Amino acid sequence: MMDIVEDLWAAYASTLGFAMVNAFFALATYATLSAGILSFGAVTFGAAGGFLGAQMVLHSTVPLPLIFLAAGLAGAVVSLLVAMIFLRLESHWMALASLALVLITRVVVLNTPDLTGGVNGLSIPQPLPLEWLAGLLVVTVGAFYALDRSWYGIAARAVREDTSVATCMGIDPRRIQLIAMGISGFVGGLGGVMMALMLQFVSPDTFFIHVAFTMIAGVVLGGSHHWFGPVLGAAVFTALPTVMQAFIPEMQDIGNGAALLLIMIFLPRGLLDPRAMRLRRARK
Amino acid sequence: MELFFAQLLNGCALGALYGLFGIGFGLVFATMGILNAAQGAYASWAAIVAMYAIDLLGLPFPVAVLVGILAGGMVAVLVDQIGFEPLRRFGPGLHQAAMLGALITSIAFWIMLESAAGFATGQQSLAFPPGSYPAAVFHAGPMMLPAMQAITLAGLVVVGGGMHWINTRTRFGAAMRAVGWDPVAAGLGGVNARVIVIATAFLSGGISGFAGILSGISTANVSASLGQGLMLKGFAAVVVGGYDDIRGTAIAGLALGVLEVFCAQYLSSSWRDGFAYALLLGFLMLRPRGLFGSAGFTRA
Amino acid sequence: MLRRTLAALAAAALLATPAFALDAGAYKVGFVTDNTGPLAFAGMSFSRGAELAAAQISAGGYMGIGTKLELVEKEGAGDAARSIQSYNQLIADRSVLATSCCILSPIAGALKPIALNNKVPLVIYGATAPGLPSLPYVYSVTGLPGPAEVAMSKHIAAQAKPQTVAYFVLSDNEAFQARFKASQAAMEAAGAKTVGVVNVLSADTDFTAPATQAIALKPDLMMVYTTQSPAAGIVAAVRARGWTGMMSANDAISPAAVFKKIGPPLAGVPFPVNFSPDASETPKAKGFIEAYTAKHGSAPDLYSAQGYTAIWLIAQGLKSLPGKPTREALATALSKITVLEHDVYGGLPITGGQAETRYTLFLNWTADGKITAWKP
Repeated sequence: MMDIVEDLWAAYASTLGFAMVNAFFALATYATLSAGILSFGAVTFGAAGGFLGAQMVLHSTVPLPLIFLAAGLAGAVVSLLVAMIFLRLESHWMALASLALVLITRVVVLNTPDLTGGVNGLSIPQPLPLEWLAGLLVVTVGAFYALDRSWYGIAARAVREDTSVATCMGIDPRRIQLIAMGISGFVGGLGGVMMALMLQFVSPDTFFIHVAFTMIAGVVLGGSHHWFGPVLGAAVFTALPTVMQAFIPEMQDIGNGAALLLIMIFLPRGLLDPRAMRLRRARK
Repeated sequence: MELFFAQLLNGCALGALYGLFGIGFGLVFATMGILNAAQGAYASWAAIVAMYAIDLLGLPFPVAVLVGILAGGMVAVLVDQIGFEPLRRFGPGLHQAAMLGALITSIAFWIMLESAAGFATGQQSLAFPPGSYPAAVFHAGPMMLPAMQAITLAGLVVVGGGMHWINTRTRFGAAMRAVGWDPVAAGLGGVNARVIVIATAFLSGGISGFAGILSGISTANVSASLGQGLMLKGFAAVVVGGYDDIRGTAIAGLALGVLEVFCAQYLSSSWRDGFAYALLLGFLMLRPRGLFGSAGFTRA
Repeated sequence: MLRRTLAALAAAALLATPAFALDAGAYKVGFVTDNTGPLAFAGMSFSRGAELAAAQISAGGYMGIGTKLELVEKEGAGDAARSIQSYNQLIADRSVLATSCCILSPIAGALKPIALNNKVPLVIYGATAPGLPSLPYVYSVTGLPGPAEVAMSKHIAAQAKPQTVAYFVLSDNEAFQARFKASQAAMEAAGAKTVGVVNVLSADTDFTAPATQAIALKPDLMMVYTTQSPAAGIVAAVRARGWTGMMSANDAISPAAVFKKIGPPLAGVPFPVNFSPDASETPKAKGFIEAYTAKHGSAPDLYSAQGYTAIWLIAQGLKSLPGKPTREALATALSKITVLEHDVYGGLPITGGQAETRYTLFLNWTADGKITAWKP
């Protein structure tokens, strides 16, 4: 019996790990989305955190917690720089600009081999203890929960629903969005270093369009109006290929797409929808 | 100097593909506010179908191209009606939840269509059979113009001009814009919104599909990933050109193609894509309304 | 009654087997496939070759009486995260004694630490980079980039005596950079000047402009160091622009699919390769080609041969062990192998976990789609 549990754990621990890493990226996207900004920038913030973390593991003896902190801060610094330039754009142009940023990130990573290892990327001889990953995710989710209940959470919701109303309520939308970008940057940077340690290597392809799609799909799938939605969505999106491989190995990608499509058509507001939950509670 | 003009021509031919694909991409983006991740798959599928139409059915080249374009359009209608239509109940235009939902369903279709295209090509990179398409080369002194480059450039002029005319001079164009603006109001104004949406999706898929077919022939590469390369540059062309400005998209596409070729020839091929994307970002920051800046982006 | 008879038979079988033989039964080998995704064109060949090897080893009882080799496949899709997950699922099954993986060297580099931590043998079938093998756990059956290109460069330099060379190089691929540099050094040592290097990227599809650039350099020879799709596209684009000068490429253009796609323009472009269904003549190679064609309906290519070789290497390790071996014991057994018994290359010595191919064929396509020995 113990053997079965152990074997299951050995088989699926890495899937769980990637689900948690993707949860960081999804949360980073949720952070901006909950303040009314659709941004794929977390990929770039992740690259900043990932490559800095990789270099710190390779060239210093700094303990892991400090590396995580540094990666988060690197992501936050990049995100605030980006925010200062991007936030004057209207929301849809902001989304496109952040997509352009992702494309540029890869070119920059490819062409700065001294910092990033260039095409070959960097190998990282340091496994990521899953308890660290899980612990940090719990803390991060806790922080999102607290933020959701705080003054900032209310203000962010107001900005998301209607910027002009928010302004009338005495909220400065730009300030809220700047804070949202900062949070996104920190969490994205953390996600980046987690991804790097989970893969034990980083390359230009580690932080590219597919991560952008994974995280946005995670958020929307899980529910973009609930602080736990991104975590759930990232878990579902990460587990899908594994599940499909077990049942229809030949057609797994088609199965992934179909599952994603069905969820979106029948639950367009995601798996966790606070509005539906409130309605259900009211009906009781 | 000879090399300069030869590369200028190569750049224009490459850019014409970006422009063509971008016109199809921009059509859906402008009228429906959908950032369609599956657009590249239309190009792949059109090329695959056109190739098999020649290879297996033995159809003549122009007919096969038409069949491919039809296939691209039909795939686009399928994606629109299954993936986007159910989300339109959210309300008009670019409601954020609907836009996000459409992005995700388009990602879902992208995954499925690309995977299915992999099966259709046996996971290989195939090509149109040699000799099945015009392969003549026109010479003018030291300059040379392969027939496929000429067809691509002509294709951009015809499709771009045609779409510009439809958009600005016909009732259909006005209806397309009206539906994009507000389907409910357009419906009240006597426009059958659903028909217009389907027609727009078909045009969009057909045009991007045409770009896919031309690209598949001139690069001797018909594979599941054909659309991806067009997708990123086509996206850049749309944004630089102004998302609902067909002239702008065509010119931006040409400019991106020329920029790409000249960067590789005279500067550095590893930074080549960086220049294109930096240009894209620069336009977003400085001229978010595109090259000609005529289009106002007022829906939010 | 039946049970007793079976037990007696089993006991008899035990007595009949020599002390130094592998127990009867099925031995599992985990195999990460790349049958979908960007590398599927090669991935399918790798896994077909491996499947054939497993079938032959089981059918012929190569590892001992009543032994079978069972291939357990999981898809990696050419993606690092998915490959890692599939690999972990494979080795979580304790009855999987050895594993095989990877076309891309970064992914092989990512799976290597997992193999080392879990002490499970890993034979890499496609990826190749210096330092990738690590005794006694990690092996590579694909020769390092360089030697074949150097041999071909010397051959061409001696036969055709080009004075000037232009190179097409995949600037975002380390293995091809290494091949190019080795070849360039050999060419320059033979007195052929470099007149230009045209860089292309892995994801490129339009090679008209790079072809124009190279033709303008007016070289005596163009050498192409890129993966399959760009190499095919470059040759096609250069010929389409009317250049008839000498070109050379690499083993990426040897699969039949490339000729089917490009056709006559490929004719006369030499490439070095250590296995080709049209030119490999050893009895084992011929047997492999025949069996593969019978099983899959098409001739094998160099990738099929590599997948095939990886599984035979593992089987040879298992064969040398008595009883019920562990992963560690298999690793030790593999580390003692210096020559592969069942190879299709006409000799495949293995040093430090890295296989080397000694014999390189210089071939080219003919205009009617046959492969023959290259002559200038």
